[in-house]
Amino acid sequence: MTDISRRGFAAMIGAVGAYIAAPAVLRAQETELRVYTWEGYAEPEFVLKFEAANGCKLKLTYTGSVDEMFAKMQGSKGQDFDIVSFDTGSTGRYVEQKLIQPLDTILLPGRAGMIPVFQQQPSLELDGKLWGVPHAWGSLPLIYSKEAFPTAPESWAVLWDPQYAQQVIALDDAINNTALAALILGFPDPYNLTDDQLAAVKAKLIEIKGNLLSYFAGYDEGVSIFVDNGAKLMFAMGEPQAKSLRDKGADVACTIPKEGGIGWIDCQFITAGAKDVALAHKWIEACLDRSVGEIMSKKVGYGNVLDDSLNREIGMTYADRLKYLARPESYDKRIKIWNEVKAA
Amino acid sequence: MSARHILTYLVAILPLGLFIGYPLGALLWSSVSTSNEGAVTYTLAFLAEALSSPAYLAVLGVTLVICIATAIISVAIALPMALFVWSRPARYQPIALLVLILPMFMSYIVKIYTMRSLLGLNGFFNQLLLTTGIVDKPTTLFLFNRGSILATFVVLYIPFAALPIYLSLERVPANFVLAGRDLGASYARALKDIVLPLASPGIVAAALFAFILALGDFVTPQMVGGPSGMTFGRIVWSQFGLAFNYSLGAALGIVLLVVTVAALAGSGLASRALTARMGR
Repeated sequence: MTDISRRGFAAMIGAVGAYIAAPAVLRAQETELRVYTWEGYAEPEFVLKFEAANGCKLKLTYTGSVDEMFAKMQGSKGQDFDIVSFDTGSTGRYVEQKLIQPLDTILLPGRAGMIPVFQQQPSLELDGKLWGVPHAWGSLPLIYSKEAFPTAPESWAVLWDPQYAQQVIALDDAINNTALAALILGFPDPYNLTDDQLAAVKAKLIEIKGNLLSYFAGYDEGVSIFVDNGAKLMFAMGEPQAKSLRDKGADVACTIPKEGGIGWIDCQFITAGAKDVALAHKWIEACLDRSVGEIMSKKVGYGNVLDDSLNREIGMTYADRLKYLARPESYDKRIKIWNEVKAA
Repeated sequence: MSARHILTYLVAILPLGLFIGYPLGALLWSSVSTSNEGAVTYTLAFLAEALSSPAYLAVLGVTLVICIATAIISVAIALPMALFVWSRPARYQPIALLVLILPMFMSYIVKIYTMRSLLGLNGFFNQLLLTTGIVDKPTTLFLFNRGSILATFVVLYIPFAALPIYLSLERVPANFVLAGRDLGASYARALKDIVLPLASPGIVAAALFAFILALGDFVTPQMVGGPSGMTFGRIVWSQFGLAFNYSLGAALGIVLLVVTVAALAGSGLASRALTARMGR
């Protein structure tokens, strides 16, 4: 190599290096908000608007289950994300493990416009502080085939009816199943059961197994088992599953039978390791905008926390008939019972 | 010991310690300790709980039966396949071997979904039975029971069983078989008395692979096992996540580890006994 070409080579390497490094340098200057959430909770329609308004970039990570989310948050003690979204029932667990931080209500004026049941949630207010802000709600409804049921089943008891043996599927989750059985057995607080009540719940859950085709673990998994096997009834994970089933050609509908149902309120929280706490508050506040809720309700099918007319429009008129997920009396007891039910 | 020797040992031992020793140690430590607000207490309660629950032990029993059956059936199917590949002319063997282990390159989840679409109520087998009039409504005989877990395990793990068998066959000298034939042994006799004993370490390894892979699998039982698809791996899995009972999860993991080590030791003994008998 001649001297000149060697110099040229060095210059070229330098240029290539600068080219590769440039976006990284630009990226470093732009603030990043790391959001750990569920699909449907960060649609481009409002994410792009927020990014433009605040000169930041959202880094979205989606979770497949509450367990995966907790494990990931626990693994990094909340350092990997700024915002995390989960249901009211898990709040205590996260607070106890110091994975989230209390919110500054002054920075969240939009809360004033919320439907009261979502604005005042005891499970979000621990140690006299506010920890999370609801942004969607829904139920664990009974999904039924309209072909088999011209009118909606009136009671959850239909899942136990031997007539529908091997045509029932149910989600695989300890807390939700024990709570549903408690509702059906008429226990007043499905999240706070005595040992005798838990024993009754266990017996009730073992009883349904003769009717079950399978449990399902996950949103798409439930839809796929229902369609592939022509199931008729499903203890579902949420209203959007009915929408997905209809998209796949199954003629189904949702109902909350007379015993009531389990409800969930998904909220946004700021992690203990959040880098830009002010920006994180801005995101939570931005999600309280009416337009955001409208997109989530109309496009994805989630219940709205701001405007009841939107809920009526998509048929979610049962918010006051739901028992919203709260921390159970004992995770260990419920997991044990659920394992024993599945092993029976 | 020269510097080069020390370096060689470091390169060999460091990853072992880091990626096997450390996690195993952490598992053991978790199973006998619990921490609350930073204060660590040591206890055998979790191991006791893992071993004392009749429901968990029953599940362990069912799991072992399924996994042993998986090992036996996988070897029974993989052995003739490996023998077939081995008996091809040398230049075709690599291609035949590739075909044999090709399923290994496919995603595990894709294979489970494929099994489900074959075995499901609207699946291939049910459609076949319906159109031929053997049944008048779809049957759950194929899917969402323990049989479907076994069938899926076998489909998943056959390539893992076939590979070690083929590799041990490859080391059987061809002239041994020829010598046996020259002395009047039939092909079957040569196979039984010469080839199989020499290949026995590979066969034992194959059974062990299938057994251990099945034992640790907690996804397949969930996806194809239905209401009776509870296996021990799923009980271990259930202690993590929101349950946040890492100690009990680790203790249950230790139970599984002990079973695995016992299987390893057992197969080691079996392999030695087979080889010894051959050397007689």
